[in-house]
Amino acid sequence: MNEYLRLDNICKYYNEKAAVDHLSLSVPKGAIYGIIGPNGAGKTTTIRMIMDIIAPDSGSILIDGRKLTHDFKNRVGYLPEERGLYKKMTLNEVITYLAEIKGYSKSQVAAEIDGWLTKMSLQEYKFRKVEELSKGMQQKLQFITTLIHKPNMIILDELFSGLDPINIELIKGILLDQKRQGTTILFSTHVMEQAEKLCDFICLINKGQKVLDGKLADVKAKFGTNTIQVDIEGDGGFARDISGVEAVTEFNNYIELKLAADADNQTVLREIASRVTVRRFELVEPSLYNIFIDVTRSDPAKLEEEMK
Amino acid sequence: MHKMWIVIKREYAQVVKKKSFLVGIILTPLFLVAVTLLPALLADKKSSTTESLSIIDMDNNGIGEKFKSSLERYLLDDGVTPSYNVKNIYTPDPTDSSAVAELRKELDSLVIGGKLKTYLVISRNVLENDSVIQVAKSFSFNMGSRFEHRLSDILAAMRLENMKINVSVDSILHVTRRVDLKHQAPGGKERDFLTMYMGGIVFVMIIFMTALGYGQILMRSVIEEKNSRIMEVLVSSISPFQLMAGKVVGLGMASLTQVAIWFAIGAILYSFQASLAISADISGIIFNPIFIIYFLFYLVLGYLLYSTLFALIGSIVNSDKEAQNFIFPITMAMILPVMIAMYIIQEPDSTVAVVLSLIPFFTPTMMIMRINFIGVDVFNFNNPIIFEATLGIVLTALTTLAVIWITARIFRIGILMYGKRPTLPELIKWIKY
Repeated sequence: MNEYLRLDNICKYYNEKAAVDHLSLSVPKGAIYGIIGPNGAGKTTTIRMIMDIIAPDSGSILIDGRKLTHDFKNRVGYLPEERGLYKKMTLNEVITYLAEIKGYSKSQVAAEIDGWLTKMSLQEYKFRKVEELSKGMQQKLQFITTLIHKPNMIILDELFSGLDPINIELIKGILLDQKRQGTTILFSTHVMEQAEKLCDFICLINKGQKVLDGKLADVKAKFGTNTIQVDIEGDGGFARDISGVEAVTEFNNYIELKLAADADNQTVLREIASRVTVRRFELVEPSLYNIFIDVTRSDPAKLEEEMK
Repeated sequence: MHKMWIVIKREYAQVVKKKSFLVGIILTPLFLVAVTLLPALLADKKSSTTESLSIIDMDNNGIGEKFKSSLERYLLDDGVTPSYNVKNIYTPDPTDSSAVAELRKELDSLVIGGKLKTYLVISRNVLENDSVIQVAKSFSFNMGSRFEHRLSDILAAMRLENMKINVSVDSILHVTRRVDLKHQAPGGKERDFLTMYMGGIVFVMIIFMTALGYGQILMRSVIEEKNSRIMEVLVSSISPFQLMAGKVVGLGMASLTQVAIWFAIGAILYSFQASLAISADISGIIFNPIFIIYFLFYLVLGYLLYSTLFALIGSIVNSDKEAQNFIFPITMAMILPVMIAMYIIQEPDSTVAVVLSLIPFFTPTMMIMRINFIGVDVFNFNNPIIFEATLGIVLTALTTLAVIWITARIFRIGILMYGKRPTLPELIKWIKY
């Protein structure tokens, strides 16, 4: 697969402290690539370096095998972590201005703006001011400004932050659309459940360093030989004591059990079924969340705190 | 370059489309007229009611009576009613100080009660000591100067009389008439005080309001982009310098549009000059090409210098509120010439005025005031003011370039920094970085 974006050993220090520490990654052309990690892991710093907003202290960033060019800036769509737009401008003006800044012509914007506004159900607000929109609508508007100039690459920092579930689905649909058109998508998030539904490739980072990266399916296969999910009625706390169970993660509706390499999952099932009613029993790939805990040997409680 | 042009267009449109732009165009000239003309008009205004007064004549030599009759010449606007009504002339025994004190106390209460506008105490031996006291709750410049003139005339007549030169009080008026001194620039153009003062203040105010007003719009727009994080999207598409330059130029063009409209309004009013007595006076300034060229230079330089400073402030603060601390010294630097305008009018050539007007941060406003007071008619470097005004342009331009360079260095980092405001050592590090 063609490589589109490559980071080679980039480092960024703030007051002697490494925000990004010898990070290397490779984003294939046309892929959806997720940079995943808790808050403060260095995701935003990494993205800002890719966007040439700040310069790395060392290491190199290559786009299509070349250094960052002005042309790349015109062909990238960027959504910063904290969202905001000119409150006093109309939607039409904001979209046109930000597209023109990207070198997209006014007439092209005029031809395409209505399609975008309709897709985002914002058509009736075209000549209204941004400040009249609700938060959710402003988020959708900002997506239009990120995408309207037909970027080759989309970079989204904390993609899911501030989005309600309906908009998350809408945005996912649009991103998959973009992927079909060959656009390379790079996003960061700390919401691992959402990320694993969307990514082809992931890079887990923690404390500025890469924990692991690769194709999501490969990563999961590597870690996914001995994990089961069980839907049960009642409290699943007892599962910890079953022999062969190494770790238990309780989710809202189910528990996830990580088994020792030599444990037999059928024995574990029988053990559980003898204590409570089992509604579902499934051999699964582990969640990214569990992989992350596994690899970083983080304290889950502490990680939970960092994720907030 | 093309992207900078897009920024210029947006900044220009954002200002010009606002209602406040139109309001500013209309209200600002009214405001200028108010602050410059009103005091002059009010000072000139005749009193509309008859003021009553009494006189304590301790000299008891007929001065009180003479003063009373000398006031008869003053009439109200209707040309019939006398302006002053002398109620009583008291002639107490000057040695009986308790009686005098009693009388003054009585008159004081009348003045406080509003029954009497004022009273005069003509001291004993006034011909020797020239001492007259006026008591009133408030003093008008007009009344004071009339009383002073009339009493002086009376005393002069009495002194002449004592010297056995017999003259009537009226003829004293004639003898002591003051010279009508008119100021002319070389070449014979008339320059009177009011015109100089007004012209100076008006043009200083235009520079002042352009630099401060549009500078602050620029600052707020930087803060808005910073706070809403649009800045990140912008600088991922366009270089920080292009962004800053686009803002400065775009808003500068908006401010020039405003000034151009004011000039056009001025020119139209001038064509109806009959309706405006002042326009004839001001025309001497407005239609002096040398003055206008200097004015435009200082207008543009003043705007560039100060708006760049405001861009600098906008890039390092997080909110309008935080910016207030920085705005104060800038406003002070700009307003200084207005505050010391009276001094400059009197001494436009003094060393202090020359030195102050050559300090780049003061030059735009201060120099235009001096040019106006001194007057320029011919472009000739032997004329010190032409030399100084041109030197001022060069110095201000160089300073502006330096400020733009420093601001550009700080701006590109500051606009992406949130939270704590950078310290001075940090700023210096950014400049070197």
